Amino acid sequence: MASRASDPSQSPRLDSKVPSGRLQEKWDIYKNAVSLVSPANKRSHHILIVGSGLAGASAAATLAGLGYNVTCFCIQDSPRRAHSIAAQGGINAAKNYPNDGDTVWRLFYDTIKGGDYRSREANVYRLAQVSNNIIDQAVAQGVPFAREYGGVLSNRSFGGAQVSRTFYARGQTGQQLLLGAYQALSHQIAAGRVKMLPRREMVDLVVANGRACGVITRNLLTGELERYAGDAVLLCTGGYGNAYYLSTNAKNSNVTAAWRCHKRGAFFANPCYTQIHPTCIPVSGDYQSKLTLMSESLRNDGRVWVPKDPEDKRAPELIPEDARDYYLERRYPSFGNLVPRDVASRASKKECDEGRGVGETRLAVYLDFRHSIERLGEQTIRERYGNLFEMYQRITGDDPYHTPMRIYPAVHYTMGGLWVDYELQSTIPGLFVLGEANFSDHGANRLGASALMQGLADGYFVIPYTLGAYVAGLGSSDPIPLDDDSFDATEQEASDRIDRILKNKGDKSPTEFHRELGHLLWDHVGMSRTSSGLQSSLEAIHRLEDEFWERVCVPGSANRYNKNLEFAGRVADFIELGALMARDALRREESCGGHFREEYQTPEGEAARNDEDYADVAAWEYNGRDPKLHLEQLTFENVHPSQRSYK
Amino acid sequence: MIIHLRIWRQEDRTSKGRLVDYTVNEASEHMSFLELLDVLNEQLLQSGDEPVEFDSDCREGICGSCGLMVAGIAHGPQKRTAVCQLHMRSFNDGDTITVEPFRAKAFPIIRDLVVDRSAFDRIIEAHGYVSVTTGSAPDANAIPIPKETVDDAMDYAACIGCGACVAACPNGSASLFTAAKISHLGLLPQGQVEASQRVISMVDQMDAEGFGDCSNYAECEAVCPKGISIQGIARMRRAYMKGVLSA
Amino acid sequence: MKMMSALMSPVGRKVLTGVTGIGLVAFVIAHMIGNLTYLSPDPTAYNAYAYKLMSLGWIFYTIEILLALCFILHAVVGITIQVRRRQARPIGYKNYTSAGSPSLQGYSARSMIFTGIILLVFLVLHLISFKYGPGEAEGYIATLSTGEEVRDLRRLMTEKFHEPLYAFGYPIIMILLGMHMRHGVWSALQSLGVMSRRLSPLVYTLAAILGILVAIGFLFVPLYIYFW
Repeated sequence: MASRASDPSQSPRLDSKVPSGRLQEKWDIYKNAVSLVSPANKRSHHILIVGSGLAGASAAATLAGLGYNVTCFCIQDSPRRAHSIAAQGGINAAKNYPNDGDTVWRLFYDTIKGGDYRSREANVYRLAQVSNNIIDQAVAQGVPFAREYGGVLSNRSFGGAQVSRTFYARGQTGQQLLLGAYQALSHQIAAGRVKMLPRREMVDLVVANGRACGVITRNLLTGELERYAGDAVLLCTGGYGNAYYLSTNAKNSNVTAAWRCHKRGAFFANPCYTQIHPTCIPVSGDYQSKLTLMSESLRNDGRVWVPKDPEDKRAPELIPEDARDYYLERRYPSFGNLVPRDVASRASKKECDEGRGVGETRLAVYLDFRHSIERLGEQTIRERYGNLFEMYQRITGDDPYHTPMRIYPAVHYTMGGLWVDYELQSTIPGLFVLGEANFSDHGANRLGASALMQGLADGYFVIPYTLGAYVAGLGSSDPIPLDDDSFDATEQEASDRIDRILKNKGDKSPTEFHRELGHLLWDHVGMSRTSSGLQSSLEAIHRLEDEFWERVCVPGSANRYNKNLEFAGRVADFIELGALMARDALRREESCGGHFREEYQTPEGEAARNDEDYADVAAWEYNGRDPKLHLEQLTFENVHPSQRSYK
Repeated sequence: MIIHLRIWRQEDRTSKGRLVDYTVNEASEHMSFLELLDVLNEQLLQSGDEPVEFDSDCREGICGSCGLMVAGIAHGPQKRTAVCQLHMRSFNDGDTITVEPFRAKAFPIIRDLVVDRSAFDRIIEAHGYVSVTTGSAPDANAIPIPKETVDDAMDYAACIGCGACVAACPNGSASLFTAAKISHLGLLPQGQVEASQRVISMVDQMDAEGFGDCSNYAECEAVCPKGISIQGIARMRRAYMKGVLSA
Repeated sequence: MKMMSALMSPVGRKVLTGVTGIGLVAFVIAHMIGNLTYLSPDPTAYNAYAYKLMSLGWIFYTIEILLALCFILHAVVGITIQVRRRQARPIGYKNYTSAGSPSLQGYSARSMIFTGIILLVFLVLHLISFKYGPGEAEGYIATLSTGEEVRDLRRLMTEKFHEPLYAFGYPIIMILLGMHMRHGVWSALQSLGVMSRRLSPLVYTLAAILGILVAIGFLFVPLYIYFW
């Protein structure tokens, strides 16, 4: 593999700042060398943290605990409602409590392999290293992880891992970890070290002298634009899955803060890497506002099938065995229903595209528990999946004990995000990006139970060191004053953008545009992509952008609570991002992880990676409709990329 | 299906509100209640009217953002379900449904159906946490905890902070919310160190926020989307008395 | 001082209501059993019981003072809770209904303040009629089997309950008392934090039975007197 220094395609703007030394020692080497900030000085440094999910809340609590002066913003009415709360499955750590052979190395290896060799070795290794501290921290905060009868923590195997390394709190692990971080944050708020500002949307980043030095937020209650200055800005605003309109993301999850930073000079890396989860409740109609995820564990006992004859309109329970196609078991005899997320998702799309989909919309496949119920008894199935079956019945009205579930894939997580170096610093000095908002650790595909791990690793254990390095370099210089020209200009731009939306006397709601964008992205930048589809969608997205500014209609005014105004601003950013996603997918002429290009597949129809030409990170610099590409070459000195096979 | 709605509209915190009648002609039994409101809002936008504002985020019953009085019940008639997961099949074609905001002095109305629940955050800030700084934690398995204890703690930790308990309580009490956090942390050894301080401080804050007293109606438990038991309230009172007596 | 502020806290208020409530329940049960001595075949039993109580001397007065305190505190805190309830929700719902089980918001729970106030008014009238009613000076004298001359409460009771207002008014009030106790007994124990997951449903049922028994016990004597 080419080394970074000698490769001409390596952008000089993308210095990953990975410390030299053995992989296992890099983080220690970094920590040993990093400059420290004295306690007295920390107090005089003001840190702005945008977002209060796992990454934001953990960073805010930790930095305030260290003595920094922190202001934290969140879009919801309370920091406790950030979307991290919805994560169900669990959190990985290399504790090896079950003594089944797990090590930091194995967690690192599984994560980098699961990411299809499109992430940075040093970052992933550090993630695996600090994973254990996260569990200790969470338990000390009172997170009620599941336990064995002997009183020790319980682990389960998740997402096809060969070891049991996943810690969990029922199906509410994200909720419990977030509440742990939220409570730690509340402690610091009470101590006066964090100023918490809920119902604020970051609408722009203030950059002066080439450094991030403040933010403009909109107070969602009063509509007022507010200015905040700080020595550094931490962006912890999550992923951009809602670009697809329908996803498992919360309604308020959006890309606006990240996108505005992108427009101010932060490079956006690998936007085409999106994860599509195979077991979600299918869309039932146009009114649908979001998709609901059903735990992956259902595939342990459920069998996926479609009728062999697309015209077979019988109720599923009346279709005899010989008229059913258990297509996953047929195509992947050794893994069967347990193939990885991306493989399972693409397979259901293929069945539906070929007309064998079921249900009213024909965009669903059956997940059948009949055989498991016959084999294990209804009681066992109820114990394992009772709450999921209940949720399914609540939403669809069908009883999965008697009729097969209908499932379909849905957008779930985005691996791409703002480019960051080893210190989690973006291409704008002073702007740090944590959690799902950055691109760093999951490569082209995220493994189950790794998102919570990354968000908390960044916030609790990485940023306290790397931010210190930056702040120490600042010396004792004061933040830019709020009446500086940079604040005036940035606020003016934000206010003009809002005026432009409100003054537009159009006839289409922001939601209609969002829905159209979602269709375009889902059809062409979704589970499987083609050159021609991407090309046409790119043009269509540009047309949609033009139409948006001609026809969007938002009633009400700017100076009060106005949800549609908020949505309109976010949809405008999603449209611009959508174009970048298509462009990135078009450029990556290979298939890897969540990015599947139909032109690049093995004869068996599996993803074909091209390590020769695409073992890189594509980081895009904003330049209107003609973004500029920068590459960071990925080097693998410790693992050897191999092809995945689930036959 | 056709659904008639009577929705509380209120300009802002201080103005006087009123119920306004609307009809959605194209409702579907597969819609969630919030999706019905989405459809109504699209309808209102088309006709140039201002949409009905309401809070919602995850729409899968875990973030606690949503909360409406639907047909007189917090989160509507379906048990253990947040209003975002309440589906229209719970209603009949032609029904008239009244929709009001969660009402309490401590939850002032911001606009229409949106209320300010920051009082809950302030209750948590009043020691609803374990004081542990990052990095100082012992190994996670250093203190074994009986499985039953953790399961019990988890039942209380499941609280989503939606405020339905307050909204449904005839007295407007926040006892279930406060007790859930006190019970969650108080059951675990990690939380027991500060148990007395915590319960006194949180109960005082609850009082200062202007919530009413608990009269043991158990209405809160009936509307709680997570089914949190009022046994937690009994537990909070024990912990409080213990805290006062040992102080 | 700390204790005082603790007692005035939301938990303290409930503990006070619970403790005083339990004291009052004990009194009510004792009073009911005492009343039932009216039905004894020995016609002097009732007056003898009343006399024995009075002759307890300082113990009797201590109990009386404690009971008075219980009544006052119970009423004051109960009314405070009601006032705070109004303050906690200044604008009520246009449409409100109970979600049903496991809610315990039945008629008895919802009417605590009304039954409570009626019982308070009743208590005053009851004391005027009986405790401070006609005594030995007015010729209500009975002779016990021991030969002692005591106040003839039995006669007073017999006369009063021959009046329809008393004979039918009392039983109605006693039904309200039963209702008040139906929620109150359970609620007091919940307020004192003695409930556990297993205990709670049992206690809730026992509270209902106790409420019914007390109501029946009390209304039996007036109706007996009136009809027989």
